[in-house]
Amino acid sequence: MTAVPAPPALPVSNTDADVNATPSWRQGLRRITRSYLFKVLLSGIITILAVTTLTFFMIRQMPGNPVEIRMDELMTRQGLTEEEARRAAATLFNFDPDRPLLLQYTDFLSDLVRGDLGDSITRGGVSVVSIILRYLPWTLFCVGLALLISFTLGILLGLAMGYWRGSWFDNLLTAFASIISGIPDYIIALLIIIIFGVQLQWFQVGAVRGGVDPTITPAFSAEYLLSILQYATLPILVYVLSTIGTWILAMKSSTISTLGEDYIAVAKARGLSEWRVLTGYIGRNAMLPLVTRLAISVGFIVGGTVIIEEMFQYPGLGRNLFIAISGRDYTTMQGMFLVITAMVVLSNILADLAIGWLDPRVRMGTEDNAQ
Amino acid sequence: MKRLLLVLVLVLMLGVVSLPALAQDAPTGTWLGTWPYAAPGTHNLNSFAAGGLNDNLGLVYRPFVELTPAYYLWATQEYVPILAESWGFVDDNAAYEYTIAEGALWSDGSPVTSQDVVDTFDIGRILGWTQWTYLTSVEAVDDRTVRFNFTEGGASLNAQRQLLKEHVVASANYGELAAQAREVAASGATNEDEAWTTVATAIEEFRPETLIASGPYTYALDAVGESFFTLSWQPNSLFSSTVRFGELKIWAGETEVTTPLVLSGELAHSTNVYPPATMQSFVDAGIRVVATPRGYGPALLFNFTVAPFDNVLVRQAMAHAINREQSALLTNGLGASGTVYMSGILDSIAPTLLSQETLDTLNRYEYNLEGAAALMEQAGYSLNGDGKWADADGNTINVEYTFPADFADFSAAARDATAQLNEFGFDITERALPWQEAAAAIRAGDFQLSVWSWGSGSPFAFQNFNNPMRRWTVALAEDQPGLQLDIEALDVGGETVDLNALILNVSGGLDTAAQQERADQIASILNSGMYYIPLNEMLSIEPVNEASIGGAPADGDPIYQNPSNDHFIIYLILNGTLFPAGM
Repeated sequence: MTAVPAPPALPVSNTDADVNATPSWRQGLRRITRSYLFKVLLSGIITILAVTTLTFFMIRQMPGNPVEIRMDELMTRQGLTEEEARRAAATLFNFDPDRPLLLQYTDFLSDLVRGDLGDSITRGGVSVVSIILRYLPWTLFCVGLALLISFTLGILLGLAMGYWRGSWFDNLLTAFASIISGIPDYIIALLIIIIFGVQLQWFQVGAVRGGVDPTITPAFSAEYLLSILQYATLPILVYVLSTIGTWILAMKSSTISTLGEDYIAVAKARGLSEWRVLTGYIGRNAMLPLVTRLAISVGFIVGGTVIIEEMFQYPGLGRNLFIAISGRDYTTMQGMFLVITAMVVLSNILADLAIGWLDPRVRMGTEDNAQ
Repeated sequence: MKRLLLVLVLVLMLGVVSLPALAQDAPTGTWLGTWPYAAPGTHNLNSFAAGGLNDNLGLVYRPFVELTPAYYLWATQEYVPILAESWGFVDDNAAYEYTIAEGALWSDGSPVTSQDVVDTFDIGRILGWTQWTYLTSVEAVDDRTVRFNFTEGGASLNAQRQLLKEHVVASANYGELAAQAREVAASGATNEDEAWTTVATAIEEFRPETLIASGPYTYALDAVGESFFTLSWQPNSLFSSTVRFGELKIWAGETEVTTPLVLSGELAHSTNVYPPATMQSFVDAGIRVVATPRGYGPALLFNFTVAPFDNVLVRQAMAHAINREQSALLTNGLGASGTVYMSGILDSIAPTLLSQETLDTLNRYEYNLEGAAALMEQAGYSLNGDGKWADADGNTINVEYTFPADFADFSAAARDATAQLNEFGFDITERALPWQEAAAAIRAGDFQLSVWSWGSGSPFAFQNFNNPMRRWTVALAEDQPGLQLDIEALDVGGETVDLNALILNVSGGLDTAAQQERADQIASILNSGMYYIPLNEMLSIEPVNEASIGGAPADGDPIYQNPSNDHFIIYLILNGTLFPAGM
């Protein structure tokens, strides 16, 4: 029989400290892991990782690779033969199409962990991060402002139409919203350019292209800021026109269904003013379903509006995404899709929080569940 | 009297001093053109890199910044001097020499020398330029003369063209890189070696701060905007005193983006491919359009592993069953013509490259449905109850025709061919793809029928025959089957022919009679085998807004025979024929 050695004695003070500390540390961790915010954030990170992985492999399944696309361009634009074009393209791009996909993926992940999205394949020596940082602010400003205008106007008009449904105002705007929401954004852009620019000559077609007047030195000056606003006007107008119809119709429909709720009748019976009922009771509740939709739209701001940006040569991320896809610039595409995914996830988290703020019942439900 | 004489002498001296200065005064007026250049941020001034001068200025505008030695006039088949004043084969065709024009200067005031040319080509060797497949070395004979030494039998008219069309870059910017390139090449390294790729990477990543131009225009990066950039006149070029535009404003964008600019008069000339309806709207708006050869046309391509396209009788029947004039009209309006000779060489230059005897004997595959039906019957097909051709087992010709949806001309050609062949009794389904996917599908052999270009904007038979016969077969990577046709062992009338070798050799040497003989042989093979159907030959219909541009020669002028590869505006702007309207 073997004697079992006694466990080494531990200092009493340490043991006491562990006994006292462990429950609070564990409780703290448990509290964090069970918290709503943690769950949402964890789910967001997993979503981003999954989408990034999926995107990485999917874009490489697209027919043609950067070298082949470049070869086709060289053959078409410069009349090179296939061999000449291949030689030229191979030296232009730092890209090896034969490198195993899994190795490319591990390279990508290890760079990503260090916050490095790599260099653009087709724009030698230019980092993807610099491309994103250069163009993201333009898109955020232009599409963000347009979305804000479109959403605000759409909500207000839809609310009024729903409240005074059947009026001439409602009929007129319903027709307008139905028609305008059925017209693609590039058609609206073309019509504006051709009718108001070419035919009526209200503006010079070339003078509304770009992001800012190139003759003005970039500075935090009124002149420069006004120029930015001026160049963004038409893209914003097109975006608002192409999206406002859906906001109007959705808000009108939501308002009508809210009008039938008991609490509206009660509010009216209590003698509250019409304005108070309209804004505090109807508007606030009718807006709830649209918040999720807004969150998705906010997420997609980063993707920009590819065709609008292309039509107006607006220096946004969407136009660059289009160029990257056309040229099969994998690294740039990955970087942009990553930013879009992160924005969509983030805006959905914010939407959840916003719904909680707008609707106390959601907050209470969450708290009940947590208890 | 003496005083008067003194005054006269002074006046004369002043005149002599001031005249050159007056001649170098900046011209006024703006040329309004377009090119899809790289946006700020990725736009750079490197003559060799992606996003550099080649991309930003293309074949049309780069000669205004970096001159080429000479310019080719297609109508007279001769070169005219640009940067060089003389050129020719020397030493019993063992080498080629050209001499840079006296007085040629860079924009920084230094002379253009033969060392600039040597440096240009030494960098080109690292980048794998085609010229180095037939060159052994490039050396400076003296300050202005440069010598290109050929490999054994490397001398050819094609080589001459490639040497005279190559832009020369400034050693002031690239001399250091060229020295590294020379060192690596002299060490015996190959493009597989790290030393070689290191220099190649250094060349690619080099970002010159200033553009040193030999042409009459130059620009800096701060002149590059999102929607346009501007090339400004500079006084030191050989052509600074002849050009009549003070600046060239280049709008960004492709066809759909530039269309409103043309209509509003803010874009005076464009090389974009506009649909026929858009062209008509230009004409209706009073904008003149001129037609030049585009240097290619759409061809119907076969996958030779798909029955019945491996049967020459069926291919010939299809050629007869398609009305190529209709195809031309639907492809590009009046800017195209149905292929006549079916020789593999564009009709516009076939008479100069092929003998009359061969041209007379080629089958022109005239539109003839009865003849087509006879060929189908000869191939073992008969019309079934549905009016479709079926083989002995009742199988109809049920295939897909893939085409690039975003190329309006090619998709129109493919859709019309589909409609005509279905009318004839085929059962073809259209499949539109983004152009990148359509090209990838041909490379991968993942198609049944497709459409891509044939011919070339080159005056030589090689480039014409090369596309599509070699382009989509032997020129592809090893794992890309393409048309799946073994052109190195082609059965021609029971005899095995290496068509690849014939095409590679067709434009070799300097004996034009021998070249014609070889071209005749290939043309006959392609004509009888109908390995692809050249549907039509396209013209480039380009707006030239005379409210903005003056001096454009009348339609029919020989300069319009130049295709886009040797664009007419290069010559007409440099020699001052074109000027701002109203001057």
